[in-house]
Amino acid sequence: MFELLSFGPNGWGGQLLGGAAMTVAVSLSSFALGLVFGSLGASAKLSRNVVLNGLAEVYTTIVRGVPELLVIYLLFFGGGGIVMAIGRVFGYEGYIELNAFTVGVVSVGLISGAYSTEVIRGAVQAVPHGQIEAARACGMSRWLILRRILVPQTMRYALPGLGNVWQLTLKDTALISVTALAEIMRVAHVAAGSTRQPFLFYTTAAALYLVLTTVSTAAFERAERRANRGVRRA
Amino acid sequence: MHRHPPTNPNAPEAVIVDNLHKRFGPLEVLKGVSLTAHEGDVITLIGSSGSGKSTLLRCINMLEVPDEGRIVIGGEAIGLKKGRGGRTIPADARQVDRLRTRLGMVFQNFNLWTHMTILENVIEAPVHVLGVPKAEAVHRARALLDKVGILSKADSYPVQLSGGQQQRAAIARALAMQPKVMLFDEPTSALDPELVGEVLLVIRQLAEEGNTMILVTHEMGFAREVASEVVFLHQGRIEEQGPPERVLVNPESERVRQFLSRHLSNGG
Ligand SMILES: Nc1ncnc2c1ncn2[C@@H]1O[C@H](COP(=O)(O)OP(=O)(O)OP(=O)(O)O)[C@@H](O)[C@H]1O
Ligand SMILES: [Mg+2]
Repeated sequence: MFELLSFGPNGWGGQLLGGAAMTVAVSLSSFALGLVFGSLGASAKLSRNVVLNGLAEVYTTIVRGVPELLVIYLLFFGGGGIVMAIGRVFGYEGYIELNAFTVGVVSVGLISGAYSTEVIRGAVQAVPHGQIEAARACGMSRWLILRRILVPQTMRYALPGLGNVWQLTLKDTALISVTALAEIMRVAHVAAGSTRQPFLFYTTAAALYLVLTTVSTAAFERAERRANRGVRRA
Repeated sequence: MHRHPPTNPNAPEAVIVDNLHKRFGPLEVLKGVSLTAHEGDVITLIGSSGSGKSTLLRCINMLEVPDEGRIVIGGEAIGLKKGRGGRTIPADARQVDRLRTRLGMVFQNFNLWTHMTILENVIEAPVHVLGVPKAEAVHRARALLDKVGILSKADSYPVQLSGGQQQRAAIARALAMQPKVMLFDEPTSALDPELVGEVLLVIRQLAEEGNTMILVTHEMGFAREVASEVVFLHQGRIEEQGPPERVLVNPESERVRQFLSRHLSNGG
């Protein structure tokens, strides 16, 4: 049995490890993309512009209201067409196929971004207004206030929520195994089929996810402690 | 007891407020207020709750934009224009930012930046707004913290300080910009009674050093000691103004008389 998990010629160890690396790569990319979408979404929701409010509302409502697997299917089967349509506008007539990694990152990023939007919006609203006023009263420009006061303060309020979003994102990457991208879930699935040992490989997959979530939870807790200097008494 | 010298009309004007109007929706909070602070003046604004004291102070550094009227800081008029929907907005945000560096503001709730230590709070704007080299800013910040008596707290975070210490840190933060005028909005109202004295002591010292200040306060005894001029606001208008020994002791207005008797009987 352990031979199946080993790194030997009959073992799946190397592929599983590769799958774990792929899961980490997709998760990090999707989460980062989600933070970009989330920051844009939160800015749009907090802006006084009604059109931006509406767009952000549509984004989060659709992405959060539709099963996540469906978002992935829509992008997988429709994404190439969309990109080609955009290409045609710019005069490119060729055939474009999106690779599974890109589709995976964009779709999980969209999902992650919808949740990040809400977390970041709540965090911005939690920043005491008086601290922003104090910064304005010192002659700080809008950009300086954003960089020196609003973002650091928002980070500290957002970190716990973003920790949850990260875990969701990490687990959501399992869904993109349907695109045959060789991440943990996909490797486990293939190995289970070819060895007739599904329980062994799915247990191993579960263990790998647990290791990843445990390590990252600890990292988030460290970051929170750092960011919370000054909030609670030391 | 120290008494502040009367206002000197020959000194240059540090702040001129001319015919200021401010509305919040249907509510007209300031109905044509005019006020001049000459250099070295200590003007205290008094009046009952809702009379527009904070709004007036906040208009001076453009935290509220007045609907009408003129504000001149150190000889430079703040440019205003009509924005969309007929609202008045600053004509040049950079001018406002620049003029704000000459006005130090101290808030009722301190408003220290909680993610920074006290020292970081004090050097933040000098370094990032004025471009003072960090070493020099730190040197000056430590001297200011020493002056307000909290040098030992330089590396603490705001939550680790008492209210009185936080307010003294906020005063040091404002002073670090070397402002031409200090604006105080009820700097002791959020403090436990036993912490009021330490903050008033610092403000009194600043008054004695000749700093120009505009101060909203409910501490009548203090106003009487430090003020060169007392301004009583009532429903968005100046009801009476003059030297403290007149306005606070022998006012002409019946309203001021009533206000004072209420405040003295409250022990204020
Ligand atoms: N941002 C705002 N939006 C709407 N109304 C406001 C706003 N700020 C102040 N007001 C109203 O304007 C009036 C004057 O407020 P202001 O804070 O200037 O009074 P104040 O004299 O400082 O009173 P206090 O002694 O209670 O601090 C009040 O009726 C207040 O409710
Ligand atoms: Mg007030």
